Amino acid sequence: MTRPRELVLLLLSIIFTTVHAGEQTPSQAWPQAWFEPPQTASEAGITKFSESPFFSDKGLPPVHQRLPQDPLVSTPIGTLGTYGGAARISNLDNRTFYNVEPLITISADHKSLLPNLAEKWHYSPDGLRLSITLRAGTRWSDGVLLSSDDFVFMLNDLMLNPDYMPVTPSLLQGVKIKKLDNLNFEVHFERPNPLFGNIIAQFPEFFVAPKHHYKNFHPRYRPQQEIDELMSDLGFINWTTFIQANLQLRADTSVDAPTLRAFLIKKMTPTVVRYERNPYYFKIGPHGRQLPYIDEIHAELISDTEVEVAKAATGQLDFAGYSMPTDDIPLLKLGERTGDIQVKIWRRLHGSDLVLQPNYNHADPALATLYWDRRFRIALSVALNRDEMNQIIYFGRGQPRQVTVIPTSDYFEPEFASAYTDHDPALANKLLDEIGLHDIDGDGLREYPDGSQLTITAEYIDFETPKQISMELVASYWRQVGVDLRLKLVDRGLQWQRAPTGEMQMTVWHADRTTDILFPVQPDWWVPRTIGWSMSMWNQWTRWYLTDGRLGTKPPTEIAQLHQWAETLRTTLDRTERIRAGKAILRSSAENVWSIGTIGLAPHPIVVSNRLKGVPDNGIWGWDTRWTLPYHPETWYFSE
Amino acid sequence: MSPGTKFVTRRILGMIPTLAIISVIVFVIIQLPPGDIVTSTLDQMQASGLDMSDDRVQNLRAQYNLDDPLPVQYLRWISGFLTGDMGYSFLFARPVNELVWERLGYTLLISVCALIFTWALALPMGIYSAARQYSAGDYTFTLIGLLGLATPNFLIALLLMYAGYEWFGLSFGGLFSPQYLDAPWSWARVGDLLQHLWIPVVVVGTSGMAITMRLMRANLLDELNKPYVTTARAKGVPPLKLILKYPVRIAINPFISTIGLLLPALISGEAIVAVVLNLPTTGPLLLRSLISQDMYLAGSLIMLLSILTVIGMLLSDLLLAWLDPRIRYE
Repeated sequence: MTRPRELVLLLLSIIFTTVHAGEQTPSQAWPQAWFEPPQTASEAGITKFSESPFFSDKGLPPVHQRLPQDPLVSTPIGTLGTYGGAARISNLDNRTFYNVEPLITISADHKSLLPNLAEKWHYSPDGLRLSITLRAGTRWSDGVLLSSDDFVFMLNDLMLNPDYMPVTPSLLQGVKIKKLDNLNFEVHFERPNPLFGNIIAQFPEFFVAPKHHYKNFHPRYRPQQEIDELMSDLGFINWTTFIQANLQLRADTSVDAPTLRAFLIKKMTPTVVRYERNPYYFKIGPHGRQLPYIDEIHAELISDTEVEVAKAATGQLDFAGYSMPTDDIPLLKLGERTGDIQVKIWRRLHGSDLVLQPNYNHADPALATLYWDRRFRIALSVALNRDEMNQIIYFGRGQPRQVTVIPTSDYFEPEFASAYTDHDPALANKLLDEIGLHDIDGDGLREYPDGSQLTITAEYIDFETPKQISMELVASYWRQVGVDLRLKLVDRGLQWQRAPTGEMQMTVWHADRTTDILFPVQPDWWVPRTIGWSMSMWNQWTRWYLTDGRLGTKPPTEIAQLHQWAETLRTTLDRTERIRAGKAILRSSAENVWSIGTIGLAPHPIVVSNRLKGVPDNGIWGWDTRWTLPYHPETWYFSE
Repeated sequence: MSPGTKFVTRRILGMIPTLAIISVIVFVIIQLPPGDIVTSTLDQMQASGLDMSDDRVQNLRAQYNLDDPLPVQYLRWISGFLTGDMGYSFLFARPVNELVWERLGYTLLISVCALIFTWALALPMGIYSAARQYSAGDYTFTLIGLLGLATPNFLIALLLMYAGYEWFGLSFGGLFSPQYLDAPWSWARVGDLLQHLWIPVVVVGTSGMAITMRLMRANLLDELNKPYVTTARAKGVPPLKLILKYPVRIAINPFISTIGLLLPALISGEAIVAVVLNLPTTGPLLLRSLISQDMYLAGSLIMLLSILTVIGMLLSDLLLAWLDPRIRYE
């Protein structure tokens, strides 16, 4: 009769010993080149280059002619890799297992920027101009040289062309590009934009496209009639959807489309995408071997997360990260016992897995007034038992936190994370009593002072982080202090329609953009700057800000102050002033609890097959760093 | 005109208004939920730093030709559909025709195999259960059948996948091992397909087993007590020959008349199972297109289903008339 209990105990002990063990081992020595500008071949004294045997009979030019004149050396963790092998992944990991190649990339401390496609870059002293120099001899996967024209094409003909992109991304507003020669171009700004490099690094999709390929499908370079005929032959409704689908690698015409990434698509079927190594990839390993080490990728289109978890746990995938859920860590850890896989526990960079957003601009004036009362928000925050949430949902491995940046950020102060996070129902009750919310009708829940019912309905979608289970706990804690929270899980389409109109009393998302890469350019969790399906707490103030007062309502002084700080943060040329502004924003959030956080820096499982080497044991996982950009996936390799 | 031809002509003519009404209903229902394909693609764009104010979203709709009034959109879609062009899938960035055809083969393969599997097991089990009512065998078959009916299909799918992996080393999901996924056809690839095919066939098949079996049993029990059976038995017809030749032929009629409903199930059937098993069939396509409101894909698939249903009903009526001479065209 004791067997089930023994099994449970065994399971628990495995989970906790392994999770702890993962934390305690000193982190592997990460290459210095992950933190500072990496060497080029000439700096490292590399004169001989070699290629994968995969290319031996493909009739390609010799490898030194395919590489840039002085290629970048990308350094792996630990031992150097060997060529070969086909990686099995889910296609959802096609942006994490092999990553985008930006002009400028992100360092492993998630703070500074390192050269990648660009050899060097510098700002003019007034911050109005960014000059970029490309690495000479870098080629697209079809052998055509990369040129400034490819960047000018992407910005002028696509991203800033209203026919192609009716909605200009806010990050690109006021941006102009100017070609100097084939390797040099300048980006001009209307106002100082000293952090534009962060945007270049994090949103590489905005900046480059192979002009020689796409100009055949663009009406500025070819008669519209020819393009329309071509599109109907290819089965697309128009040229914009064609180029969009191809750049997003969604169309079957993406096969063999020129790329700068380490792999290119060779075949697409309803259930699998096959990738092969890019013969013109521009980086080498420390021994002069052209990267990547891995020859092929077989990416299955797995539509069910449970199935992907099961495949990962049984060693049928070489790398799985994107859709691995925190609550499946025990199951994945069990898979380690078969000896086929290793589960690496990284941390998500989300400052909080939940951002509880009170809608300050809600149409119900009683509710909006109540939300605006700081005591009410503090009461809601201290009513939460975050330690219990941490135990129940995250095996105790997350951190109770408010919505703020990660601890290694230049903008971080410990009190930003810890403000009002201690569980204190007595204080919550006291504050709620003070406000005048009492249980008048004796049902155990508080009413407004005039006796009318007080309920808050939270509407949200359950996606990416464990939102549903968290919200059930939040509701139970709030009911304990007499606040009636109703939960309403909604569909994406409904959320998208209701969020911008500001009809929801409260909504929930998770806080990314918490590193020094994205926080200073998009501090949108702390300042009303975006209206969208994930943010719906101060839409009217956002509209006022975005339209210079034409629409929306005038924000209170505290909020207008946030807007000023955000401007300073983004445009100041003085680092001290920038950090002061960023901290002011975060301090305001900590003191005023504009939104309420729960658990942040949560454990995120990365499943790696035992034959795949080079994946760091720990790392930061999330959007800001494009998941794996600082960890150089092109240096990962197989060792049988 | 013979009564048969007249019957068929009348039925075919009757299909036209039915399908026309269905097409309008389908198109309207798909548009009813809030949002459209633009809103479901916008969320990704917003994550990459787009500020979405309403007038700009409207421009984006124009790019997709989604700002036309509903009747115009309907006419564009239905006139294309009639000429064999089912429109463009925004979600997959491909023509709907290609998407459907590349998946139809496997869909038919799995569905037909599952049907054969169900009937080959359930009909004999039903006949046995009726002939030996309340015997140990009757109870055993009933138990198995009802277990299959009561267990959710996706659960059976997960269990069988695990069993296949644990005992036979089969990869999870899909119809092929990774090395055969896109290999050219060869005997080895056919073998690999057969190794994987049994899982979806069994999963899809077991769900229909209980109903088929119990129906067969009940129909046959009705027949077995009739005087013609007693007479035949009294005249010394061997029991097996007797049952198969007379009562079974009558008891099988209800199955023939439901063949029509099998055709649409071939396309939409077992979408959840196909998602779990990662099958390249049309079920998951329909599910995804409905979730993201990819209206041409969803509309065309549902339209195909409706056409198949109508044709299927006609076929089963004809089949029934051919099989059972007592049935007349009225």
